[in-house]
Amino acid sequence: MRRRASSRDTGTAALFLLPLFVLVVALIAYPFYRAIWLSFTDKLVGYPERFVGLRNYAYLIQDDTFRQVIRNSLVFTAGSVSLKILSGLAMALVLNGVWRWRNFFRGMLLLPWITSTVIIALTWRWMFDSFPGRGFFNSVLLDLGLLSRPVAFLATPEGAMLAVIIANWWRGFPFFGVSYLAGMQSIPGELYEAASVDGASAWRRFWHVTLPGLRHIIVITTLLSLIWTINDFNVVYVMTRGGPGTATQVFATYSYEVAFNQLRWGRGVTISIFLVPVLLVGIVLISRYLLREKE
Amino acid sequence: MAARTADTAPVLPRSTRALVLLGLVVFLLVVLVPFWWIANMSLKTYEQIQFATSIYVPRPLTWENYTGLWTNTRFPLWLRNSLVTAFVVTAITTVVASLGGYAVARLRFPGREPVASLILILYLVPPALLFIPLYRVLAELGATNSLTALFLAYPTFTVPFCTWLLIGFFKALPKELEEAALIDGAGRTQAFTRVLLPLAAPGIVASAIFAFTLSWNEFLYALIFIQDETSITVPVGLNLLIYGDVFHWGELMAASVITTVPVVALYVFIHRWMVEGLVAGSVKG
Repeated sequence: MRRRASSRDTGTAALFLLPLFVLVVALIAYPFYRAIWLSFTDKLVGYPERFVGLRNYAYLIQDDTFRQVIRNSLVFTAGSVSLKILSGLAMALVLNGVWRWRNFFRGMLLLPWITSTVIIALTWRWMFDSFPGRGFFNSVLLDLGLLSRPVAFLATPEGAMLAVIIANWWRGFPFFGVSYLAGMQSIPGELYEAASVDGASAWRRFWHVTLPGLRHIIVITTLLSLIWTINDFNVVYVMTRGGPGTATQVFATYSYEVAFNQLRWGRGVTISIFLVPVLLVGIVLISRYLLREKE
Repeated sequence: MAARTADTAPVLPRSTRALVLLGLVVFLLVVLVPFWWIANMSLKTYEQIQFATSIYVPRPLTWENYTGLWTNTRFPLWLRNSLVTAFVVTAITTVVASLGGYAVARLRFPGREPVASLILILYLVPPALLFIPLYRVLAELGATNSLTALFLAYPTFTVPFCTWLLIGFFKALPKELEEAALIDGAGRTQAFTRVLLPLAAPGIVASAIFAFTLSWNEFLYALIFIQDETSITVPVGLNLLIYGDVFHWGELMAASVITTVPVVALYVFIHRWMVEGLVAGSVKG
């Protein structure tokens, strides 16, 4: 009886999962296979592809621009993810302390997360604009007397990197804040009471109760954000196009530049293949955490 | 500290309250200033923007950017393209993800666990990894340079995400109703369409809204797969409002307002569910 029910399920399951599998095979797995293959060729747009073995990989490892791209990506990712963690924690602590209209404020603070990244990037680009009085930061700093003349944030390598980090951080931190808030609310109140009875200060309660209780969620949000941020295209492309020079060029924008402006598809694909090992590590860690929890 | 037990509204010491208020004001400023900048600039005249007069509030206030955007640019067309794309992708996603989510959550079949892991893995694959080969595949299918490219490409990220959400949702539904239907002689398919689908409606609506938002905001695929200016979507069109060094900021910001409002409106509906379901649910299962 039981066996019959489960074999009937298998047929239904195959039917129900069929559309998903068609999609996955045709539009994810097959393109991925093509990506690997392309990375072993010197495909130029308009020419047939020729197998060149590992030449694209060897070239990129030697390439100064690519090395800069790796450095930029690391700075961009580390900078914005650590900002997101810290401000996410602060946001969660604040919202957790709010005693009225908490859902309303939580909704307000989530707005950046649902807004189009292109719009966010365009807006921040303008806010950092150097035209006297036109950009937000220059207007405010000049009016407060903190600057004597406008600063061209996006024209210097450091300023441009800072600007793209801030824009990416601004879009991403609400997700962290809301996740940590959910985590904080699931920490049993008795733990805090016990800590208070033992005379623990607010700081020690945070350090010994809140943070350990959030460990799991911090790990997951950080891994997710690392994957998303190191692959970011929109913010950098819209704000700086990777410039000035190659000061903010990251993996995705450089891959786009090489594939669609220099028309070297083989090399362009290889740039993103370099991220696959990082992605795999992230996926393994996240799956382990999430699927273990699913049990 | 006895107040701790009053779980819903803890009475905090006055100094903590002040700190919380201060923090709240800072966060609201950080979040709202860019939105105010968008709305503010969308209501200024070209001259006000160009010569940086009345920077912080539009004086006088004008709607000329909105009317100009509507009559002098192809924005209405881009908006139509974005809407069509978002609706088609949402429809495809909802069908594929509900079927898949139900199968993984409720049916017993060999290989169920690997399928669940696979869906999670696919959710984590970034579009930046696939855009070049996907472009080639779509070009070979003759799908590039039209919205068809996006109908095919967007489900690669909306479907894994929505399926993952719906697995959690279907798992949370009571098993008894479905079992009762099965005992009454309904097949799995009937039990699914007659009993589970109506019960799962809130989750399916929420996942549809996510699919809609993701398609609505997508940029990378839209930029690469379509060159024809009559077939592009809003996020790509916005970048066309920048001609070289000339920025049509007023119109850009008006377009940003028009594009953001529908998403915010949709999201007001699912906010509660989203926060409790997506963040806690997807993370905690």
